[in-house]
Amino acid sequence: MRKALRPRTGAGTVVCKRFRLKLAHAILGSAIGTHVDLLIGSLPLRISSEDSSLLSAAAKRYRGFSDSQEKRFSIQVDRAEAGFSGQHEFVCDFEGARVVANATGAHFSGVRHEYALDSLLRMFLSWALLGQQGFLLHAATVVRNGKAYVFVGRSGAGKSTIASLSPRGTVLTDEISLLKRVDREWRAFGTPFWGEFRADGANTSAPVAGIFRLVQASDNLVVPLRPSELLRTMLPCVLFFSSQLGDNDRLLQILVAATEQVAGYNLQFQKNRSFWEVMPS
Amino acid sequence: MNVAAGGIWQKNPSLAWREIDDETVIISPGESVMHELNDTGSFVWKNIDGQRKAEDLAALLVEQYEVTLETALADTLSLLEELYTRKLLLPAETSSGGAAL
Repeated sequence: MRKALRPRTGAGTVVCKRFRLKLAHAILGSAIGTHVDLLIGSLPLRISSEDSSLLSAAAKRYRGFSDSQEKRFSIQVDRAEAGFSGQHEFVCDFEGARVVANATGAHFSGVRHEYALDSLLRMFLSWALLGQQGFLLHAATVVRNGKAYVFVGRSGAGKSTIASLSPRGTVLTDEISLLKRVDREWRAFGTPFWGEFRADGANTSAPVAGIFRLVQASDNLVVPLRPSELLRTMLPCVLFFSSQLGDNDRLLQILVAATEQVAGYNLQFQKNRSFWEVMPS
Repeated sequence: MNVAAGGIWQKNPSLAWREIDDETVIISPGESVMHELNDTGSFVWKNIDGQRKAEDLAALLVEQYEVTLETALADTLSLLEELYTRKLLLPAETSSGGAAL
């Protein structure tokens, strides 16, 4: 014999459970089932994959850069390697993994772990930022008094040291900075790409106060650089992977504009916080 | 290969380059290599147009800088040789179809 209907409160509990299930399913779907939505350097991206472990890693790795905008650039990520077909504006390989991209979307293939995903994402961004007057730079960025101080240098130059010596500022990144011209102003954006200092970056931006070439020394000294000297300093530290002439020409155009519009300096610094005393405001 | 005074050269069209502060930065996209020219090198580079000979370029240098034609020509040939070695220059095609070196 069937039991009598439960009172409304009981029925309500059942409905509520069903909703909970649907809600749980929705969370599962958006977080690891279908895609991860990001905003990096004000570039809205959707990383999609059928590989839940890769998406889980991406959701965790880039958690500070999640976003909910509707319209976004689509990146399909697959663990399997893909054959090369069709016309693509950007193609780049990295240790068996490959990124192909055009104006409508990108495909990352052969992505066996999150580090490969991270590398391909950097490669892709270096290309995608061309259309936005932006570029990626091996540099730490510290926000102080509302302005971004960009410290450029290769590995070992002192980027992480500078980041660790800057407790009162907001460290946007200690490894890879994103610089972009927005409304006639150069701004530095945080990135989820970090070195030794911390595991995630701040997804915010600030107008660039200056770009500083790091030189470890026994004293603190700031010397202005001419635009050509700044360009020479920056070029070896720019992340760029396209071998296409048009892309390189565009990059050079963006970099020359940046070096002419942003102040550049040589920064000799001691390994303590005293270097901030000589920094231009 | 020695660059001759009568040779005609053109910029390698596969390069990206920009002038900044009277200097020139050149990128070879295929090799990911950056090259730099100082102000006089930039002046010569700007005037390499696929039609001027080394002698013409040297004459332009004499007009712009305090230098003798002999010195200007020697420096121009040396620079052209260097640029050619770095694959930044190509022999220009003449109207008859052949390369004029």
